[in-house]
Amino acid sequence: MKKLRQEFADTMLEIGETDESLVVMVGDISHGILKPFAEKHPDRYYNIGICEPAMVNLAAGLSKVGLTPVVHTIAPFIIERAYEQIKLDFGYQKLPINLISVGGAFDYAQLGCSHHCYTDVSLISHIKDSCVFCPGSAEEFNTLFKQSYNNGKINYFRLTENPHGIEHDQSIKVGEGVVVAEGSDLTIVTTGAQLKKCYAATEVLKAENIAVELIYLPTLHPFPKEQIHKSLSKTKRLLTVEELSSHCGIYSSSLEASLGINIEKAIQIAIDDFIYGYGTYEEVCERNGFTELNIIKKAMELKGV
Amino acid sequence: MNSDLRIKISEMVQRSGEGHIPSSYSIVDIVEFLYAKVLKYKQHQPDWTERDYFILSKGHGCGALYAVLHKYGFLSDRDIEDYSTDKGILGGHPDMTKVPGAEASTGSLGHGFPTAVGIALGLRIKKKNNRVFVLLGDGECHEGTIWEAANIGNNLQLGNLCAIIDWNGSAAQLMPREGLSSKWKAFGWECHLIDGHSKEDFERIFARLKFEINGSPKVILAKTIKGKGVSFIEGHGVWHHRIPNESEMSLIRRELQK
Repeated sequence: MKKLRQEFADTMLEIGETDESLVVMVGDISHGILKPFAEKHPDRYYNIGICEPAMVNLAAGLSKVGLTPVVHTIAPFIIERAYEQIKLDFGYQKLPINLISVGGAFDYAQLGCSHHCYTDVSLISHIKDSCVFCPGSAEEFNTLFKQSYNNGKINYFRLTENPHGIEHDQSIKVGEGVVVAEGSDLTIVTTGAQLKKCYAATEVLKAENIAVELIYLPTLHPFPKEQIHKSLSKTKRLLTVEELSSHCGIYSSSLEASLGINIEKAIQIAIDDFIYGYGTYEEVCERNGFTELNIIKKAMELKGV
Repeated sequence: MNSDLRIKISEMVQRSGEGHIPSSYSIVDIVEFLYAKVLKYKQHQPDWTERDYFILSKGHGCGALYAVLHKYGFLSDRDIEDYSTDKGILGGHPDMTKVPGAEASTGSLGHGFPTAVGIALGLRIKKKNNRVFVLLGDGECHEGTIWEAANIGNNLQLGNLCAIIDWNGSAAQLMPREGLSSKWKAFGWECHLIDGHSKEDFERIFARLKFEINGSPKVILAKTIKGKGVSFIEGHGVWHHRIPNESEMSLIRRELQK
């Protein structure tokens, strides 16, 4: 399965070929895979150094002279450390930027809390004129990036290290969710890597006669309220599975979208505190409820069985 | 020098009840000279693509920028009269989405300078010869992003970039071991020291600076006096963010009209 990070590099090469405004800046990561872009466009590639706030701030200058900056490094450093730069230099000044992260949530599980990032999605979503994407496959990234990179907004792409491996029948469009399975008993809403486990759980639940409507969101902001509202009108039960902070993520946006519906029960699987300790990504998932079994358990709890 | 602009700044602050008079007085001579003799611009077409860029990184000194933009035709009398009111476009820190001629929305210190570094890089990528000037406070040089961006500016050899430091002594109130000149030199910047209130020094230094697409970025350390021009405002006291009353306003006018 192609890694999203490799797709990022390939997409830069592909778009950089025709769009001379594209400038890529990295904070000392991914320089190996970006070498083809760097060699082809040496004046449009900069491994700036280890100074994320200035790197993001610098991109505002590029944007101001009409270039299209793409800034890439690890999620906590590009979003949480440089948030004031994103907020003021781009949000307040109405300048566009493309922010590409790796290491969202606990993808860098073995590196510990210093390299985790739970709040990135909610932070960027606070800026009205922004788009937040959590693609779960290489194809999704390529599609979403091409659809949005020059839309004049703040675009944040959180690239998972764990592609979900599910192929969609429906085409991917900015701002739209994908209905992976239709059902009337409960709605599961998820994003990024967790689609894999949600899909597996949906199949198991189907065998138990529990019909799950599984909605996958490669775009988290703007949030597809109408789509979620429509599903919850039918199921009245909500389970969200999100490798995000438990605040201001899929759960709260879905509940906002459910206004006017008498929701019977809602459960969230998310991150509500620092995740201490180490281990592999799967081990950290296991410790924090991001498992197929826990999704099934919560779904049955919602259904009252 | 520039007594008329200084009076205008104090009047704006007095009328609206908002503003930093001493911080504006320490830079107004520099900003006026840039717009009078150095910068290339079209006041009726502020986004002219061939313009030189000027960024006021120490956004709280915007009284000076507004007074100068008004003098050179970017702003109207009405804009100045409506300063810091809900009718106007001018506030206590500049908003580039509203103010013609303001290249960045500064205020939070440490943002305008890295933006200027980015503009200089962007212009080089686009193979353009526009020059970039950015004015920082010495206190602002406490911010980490200043040194991150200074490091980048030198490593990228942005010879189309000139920083001017308003060295009015604010920084040393808190951190007296500042070594500002040796720091900028250590970061690889071509360093010049001038009197920030001397027209002769301005003429001499700006005639000497060589801008090129690749080369050392330049920094001018301009020794200034905070509140320059009005004896009781000068220095680092209560006047930093104080609003003059009617009688103080009369005294300000009297001193400046001498």
